[in-house]
Amino acid sequence: MAGETLEPTQTDEPTIPWHRLPVNKETLIGYASVLPVLILYFIIAIGPVAYAVNASFHDILLLNPQWEWAGLGNYYEVFALETFWASLWRGIIYMVGSTLIQLAFGLWLALALNKITRAQKFLTAVVFTQYLIPTIVLAFAVSYMFTPNIGLGVLQNLGSGVLWGADTAPLTFSQTWAMPLLILVGTWKFGVFITIFALAQLRAIPDRFYEAAQICGANRIQMFRDITLPRIQGVILVAVLLRSIFMFNKFDIIFVLTQGGPGEATTTLPILAYQTAFTGGNYGLANALAVVMFLFLAIGAVTYFILFNPSEEVETST
Amino acid sequence: MSTDTPSDTDGIFGLSYRGEKKLFARLKQISAAIFVVVGVFPVYWMLQASLTTRERASSGIVSWIPTAETFTLENYEVLTNPDVALYVINSIVVTLGTIILVVLVSLIAGYGLARFNMPQKENFARFLLLGYLFSPIVLGVPLYLIWQNLGLLNTRLGLIIALTAISMPFAVWLMWKYIQTVPEAMEESAWVAGASRWQGFRDIVIPQTQPAIIAAALFAFALAWNDFTFAQILLPSNEASTFAPGVFRLIQRGYDIARVDVMAVSMAMTLPPLVFAYFMQSYLLKGFQIRSL
Repeated sequence: MAGETLEPTQTDEPTIPWHRLPVNKETLIGYASVLPVLILYFIIAIGPVAYAVNASFHDILLLNPQWEWAGLGNYYEVFALETFWASLWRGIIYMVGSTLIQLAFGLWLALALNKITRAQKFLTAVVFTQYLIPTIVLAFAVSYMFTPNIGLGVLQNLGSGVLWGADTAPLTFSQTWAMPLLILVGTWKFGVFITIFALAQLRAIPDRFYEAAQICGANRIQMFRDITLPRIQGVILVAVLLRSIFMFNKFDIIFVLTQGGPGEATTTLPILAYQTAFTGGNYGLANALAVVMFLFLAIGAVTYFILFNPSEEVETST
Repeated sequence: MSTDTPSDTDGIFGLSYRGEKKLFARLKQISAAIFVVVGVFPVYWMLQASLTTRERASSGIVSWIPTAETFTLENYEVLTNPDVALYVINSIVVTLGTIILVVLVSLIAGYGLARFNMPQKENFARFLLLGYLFSPIVLGVPLYLIWQNLGLLNTRLGLIIALTAISMPFAVWLMWKYIQTVPEAMEESAWVAGASRWQGFRDIVIPQTQPAIIAAALFAFALAWNDFTFAQILLPSNEASTFAPGVFRLIQRGYDIARVDVMAVSMAMTLPPLVFAYFMQSYLLKGFQIRSL
C-alpha cells in the first residue's frame, strides 16, 4: 500500500535535533499521523459549513454567481417561508415515524434472531443484504412494484381494491400513500441497522443470567425487563440517535421515489434545500436552509444527549 | 434440581413454563419466516423482473416466476449500452478509490491515536464524530460551488474525496479501537531486534489489523457504492456520472431504457453486496461491535 504516504510515521531522521526542539518527537509524529484525516475533514466538513454560512449572507444566483451582500435577508426569507415550516414538519413526521417503526421492527427481529441457531449464516446474510443493497436499486424496484397495470407492479396489484382503489395512480403519486410508503421503504432498508447493533449486544449476555432468573421463578417478561433491557438500552439509545439524524437528513430515497411530490406531500428539508439550489437556482437561500437544518439537528442531538445520556450502560461483566 | 418446573402458573398468559417455552419457540420461528419473506422479496422481485421479457413485464398480468416463454437473458445486454457501461465503470473507480483512500488514511490515524500520547487526542476523536451530523445535502450544496472553483466538479477525484471524508469518522474509530487490542509488546520486541517504527508498523501492526482493515473497506464500499446524493450534486455531467444518478437521469429523461433493463442493471449492482453479505459477515459484525460513543 503506497509507501510514500506513510512517511510521517518514520522515525529515523538523524538530521533533526529533537532534543533542542520545544515539542516532543512522539507528540509530533502522533499529530502527523492524524494530519491527513484532519485535512480531509476540514476540506469536506468544516470548510463547506463555513462556506455555507458565508454564502447564506449573500444573494447568489447559481447561473451567475455574483455574491451580493444580503445580511440576514436569506434567514428572514427562510423563516417567513411557508414551505419551510411545512417541510420541517413533514421531515419530523418522516424522522419520528420511520425511526419508531425501525426501532420496533429492528428490535423484534434482533430478539427473534438472537436464539435461533439454525440457518444463522443465511439469516445474517439477509440482514446484511438489506443494509448493503444500494438505496437507489431498492427505490427502482419499489417504484415498479407500485406501478399499476404492469407485470412488475405486484404490490400495487395486491393492494388494489383492498387498501386502495383499483384505479389508483401509482402510490408514489398519491397524496395519502406517498409518505407511508417512504416510511415503509426506509424501515425495510434501515431497520436492520438497529437489529445488528442490538444483536451484537444480546449475544454477549451469558445464558446463566437467564438460568438463574428461571430458577428464581421469573417469567419471560420479567427476564426481559430485568436482564435484557438494561444491557441493550445503551446501544439502542445510540442507534436511535444515529437513525434519527440519518432519517432527518435522508435525501436519496425520497428524491428518487417521489421527488418531494405529489405537490409537496413528501418535501422534507433536504429536498427543499436541493430544489432551492438546483431547480430554483437561489443558491444563497439554499445555503441558509442548509445552515438552519444543521443548527436544528445539532440542537436536537445535544438535547437528546442531555435527556438520555446514551453512554450510560450496564456492563455485562463475566 | 427442579429447574424444569419452577412454578406451573407463573408464566405469562397463565401458561406453564413448558407451554410458555413452546409458545416462544413457535413465535420465534414465525418471526424469522416473516422476516425472510419480507427481506428477500424485493431482491427476488428484481431478479425475476430482470429475467422476464419486456413484453411480459409491461403487460397487465403480474408474473411471479418467468416461465419458459417469458424467460430471457436479453435484458442484461443493457450493460453493454455505452452510457450504462460508463456509469458502472465510474462507480467501480469511485468505490475503489474511496476504499483505498479510507483504509490508508484511517490506518495511519488509528495507529497514531493508539500508540502516541499527544494532548487532546480523545477530544480530536470525539470531534470527528460530529461528522455524523453533517448530511450529504448540508455539505453537498456548498461543496458544489467550492468544487466548481477548484475544478473538481464533474471529476471522479472530487467525489472520491467527498466520500472518503464522510467515511472517515467511523473508519478512524474502528482502527483506533482495534489497534489498541494489538499488544504493543510485539512491536517493542521488533524494535529491540532492530526494526524501525515504520518496519514495526508494516510487518507487525498491519498484518494484525487485517480484520479491521477489511471491515473499514467494507463500510467504505457500502457508502461509496450506495451514494446517490453526492454524485447527483457533484457530478452533474453525463460523462462523469456514477451508476445511481446516471440511471436515474436516464429514467427521468424518458430515454429508451425499459423497466426490465433497469432491473437488470440494478441486479448487477446488487451482486457485490449480496456476495459480501454472505461471505464477509464476521468482518461486518466487527464493525458494528465497536462502541463508538
